[in-house]
Amino acid sequence: MVNVNNMATHEHDYHPPGLQHQFEDMKQQEESVALGMWAFLVQEIMFFGGLFTAYLVFRSRYPMAFAAGSNHLDAFLGGLNTLVLIVSSLTMALTVYYAQKGKRMMQVWLIILTMLFGTTFLVVKYFEYSDKYHHGLVPVTGLNKRTKAADPNAPKTEGTYVNTRSEFQWHDEKGDKIILEAREKGYLTPHEEIGYFTNGELDNNKVRDKVRIFFWIYFVMTGLHALHMIVGLGIMMWLLWTAWRGAYSADYYSPVEMSGLYWHFVDIVWIFLFPMLYLLGRHFLAGGH
Amino acid sequence: MAEQHNNHDEHHEHEEHIGIPGYLVVFGILVVGTIITYFVSLLDLDGMLFPGANTLVALLIAFFKMTVVVLYFMHVRWQSNLIWLSAVAGFFWMAIMFAYTMQDYLTRSTGVFGQ
Repeated sequence: MVNVNNMATHEHDYHPPGLQHQFEDMKQQEESVALGMWAFLVQEIMFFGGLFTAYLVFRSRYPMAFAAGSNHLDAFLGGLNTLVLIVSSLTMALTVYYAQKGKRMMQVWLIILTMLFGTTFLVVKYFEYSDKYHHGLVPVTGLNKRTKAADPNAPKTEGTYVNTRSEFQWHDEKGDKIILEAREKGYLTPHEEIGYFTNGELDNNKVRDKVRIFFWIYFVMTGLHALHMIVGLGIMMWLLWTAWRGAYSADYYSPVEMSGLYWHFVDIVWIFLFPMLYLLGRHFLAGGH
Repeated sequence: MAEQHNNHDEHHEHEEHIGIPGYLVVFGILVVGTIITYFVSLLDLDGMLFPGANTLVALLIAFFKMTVVVLYFMHVRWQSNLIWLSAVAGFFWMAIMFAYTMQDYLTRSTGVFGQ
């Protein structure tokens, strides 16, 4: 606890080792660091906010296409990933707790656990993306699996189809059915009446283009979120190294707490992405419709 | 120096926040919230209540989960007013972005005459 920064004349001042010289005391330093981090997080809210706005605009125009597209996401895997992130948030919160206590090995193990859960999230995400690739649901031509009619490995779940040009494809009788039912009940928006039908008949090309918007938003939002997870894992690597070296104590643990803020923020984004992307159309299929 | 140390100790008590049992309770709330969200999405609330009820319930649960994470995991509950202001301002500006964007899009026509 003996200060190392002060000159002999100031020996009587208590001066924690982690205090930078421009701050009065640890409290002021911690508040300044937290404010800086929150300024960054507010910027991140704006960053994701633009995408949430795009979601809002297009979903309000084509709600049934969004519901039909949503039914092609695996809600179980999405929910599982939500739980994985929540567990990683708990281990992160406990890391901060033990950093405040200055317990080095507890920090190290909890950071390793946090990284493990973060990696699990990305692995599950990989399997989900891979499923979209195999079913022609990636909205970019050329990024889907090419499937010939004779290909015995062609996906069977949605009915075998041909995708020789690696395009985004839409074959969904259940989706067509919920759109037609919504039309009977008069639930379609004016944009949907024009956007799904040609001369009163359901037009698959038109529906596909609207569902494609949903998958664009799905890939951009979850992709940006996954990128944040990867950056978060990088931060965790650095945190693991510094914690291992015993850099944090009851007097100085701001880097742990700030990394925690980032990690929790990324968790919050997923808390919203999960219901907004995965759970839109399940009740149309589950109920007696 | 003794006085300084006292301040220091108080400071640490203050920083302990809710402790491990508290964190586990928050964790439990988040897990239960996720499970409810997952199963409520199977109910046809749109038909039982009003169109959009499914989305509304899912978002309310998400907002609740977010609030718990921000207050307890991110320690905002114990932070200064300045931090509160920053956090609230972020969401307030996002709400403005949503509101002004939608007041435009929702009042546009479809681009087809008569509709």
